Amino acid sequence: MASSSSTEHTVKDNAGDGAQNPETKEEDKKDDSMFECNICLDTARDAVVSMCGHLFCWPCLHQWLETRPNRQVCPVCKAAISKEKVVPLYGRGSSKQEDPREKVPPRPAGQRTEQEPGNSFSGFGFGDNTFHMSFGIGAFPFGFFTSTFNIGDQRPHAAPQGTQQHMEEQFLSKIFLWLAIVFLTWLLMA
Amino acid sequence: MANIAAQRIKREFKEVIKSEEVAKCAIKLELLNDSYTELKGEIAGPPDTPYEGGNFVLEIRVPETYPFNPPKVRFITKIWHPNISSVTGAICLDILKDQWAAAMTLRTVLLSLQALLSAAEPDDPQDAVVARQYKENLEMFKLTAKHWTNVYAGGPFVNSDCDDKIKRLIDMGIEEHQARVALSSYNWVLERATEQLFS
Ligand SMILES: [Zn+2]
Ligand SMILES: [Zn+2]
Repeated sequence: MASSSSTEHTVKDNAGDGAQNPETKEEDKKDDSMFECNICLDTARDAVVSMCGHLFCWPCLHQWLETRPNRQVCPVCKAAISKEKVVPLYGRGSSKQEDPREKVPPRPAGQRTEQEPGNSFSGFGFGDNTFHMSFGIGAFPFGFFTSTFNIGDQRPHAAPQGTQQHMEEQFLSKIFLWLAIVFLTWLLMA
Repeated sequence: MANIAAQRIKREFKEVIKSEEVAKCAIKLELLNDSYTELKGEIAGPPDTPYEGGNFVLEIRVPETYPFNPPKVRFITKIWHPNISSVTGAICLDILKDQWAAAMTLRTVLLSLQALLSAAEPDDPQDAVVARQYKENLEMFKLTAKHWTNVYAGGPFVNSDCDDKIKRLIDMGIEEHQARVALSSYNWVLERATEQLFS
């Protein structure tokens, strides 16, 4: 009851002079509380989630686990937890936040599993397999743009320098570049 | 670190005064200083218990390491309960000791204490005398707890038999509270209480 009437009130106010009214702010706050740390009750910083799903600031959870070394339990549901088994949350633009509190070791890193190389085309897989991309559009007159672009590209998934695959890629790229130049010359001559 | 404690109490305090328990007058929280380290709590005696109708005041001290360590809480209002010292008001409750969890709040502490009044645990006592009475003579325990609630917490149940016996001891030069403790401890047998007081 209370919430529905307050919404009505907010709508009415917004329809009027559009002045910032305290009740809208109040509701915004309620939404934010979803992301509040269960220890400091503030918006979670360097957020981590326990396996039982409870959200904390990493410094807060770290201190809790330090306070009771013999009793490593979730501060909310008392499930067994450990420092290593927490999932960090990486929000947009939240990577570099200085923490004025004590020096706390960094959060455990998120666990990444590389995508299987076989099905790279399924998800519009640019960059996952340079060789296929070059080959696929290399025959097109302007394909060399793609090819040259790929040579200098510093993608994390490009084959490491010096390996067999790397040399093959370099070789193929050069062939396509050369073919494209020939093709262009032919076009200009014609 | 004192900063996080104060910040949290500030937030908790705002939440408590908006909570429905406060609206129902079941719990109450009051700040005693500006640094958010000392508070006064109040809980209403739960219905269908000897504490019904009483209002129990608690002293709450927030340590610098809060919420990583529990608040220090004791009863200021005198109470007859197996898990609360009838002398000091000290409380034996697991969440105020090793079962504390950082996500608990002053609100959950007050509600847990209220629950403790409804469900005593005589096997894990704070006050051995009260706990023994609870286990050996439950009716006598209830009568005594009701009487204490009436005298110290404003409960409605007046027991004229208890009042008369206390008056007899006062007439013998015994201080009122001392007389009440002696009679309560000896199941309101006047002779035994007198014997203990003058031995
Ligand atoms: Zn936090
Ligand atoms: Zn949990």
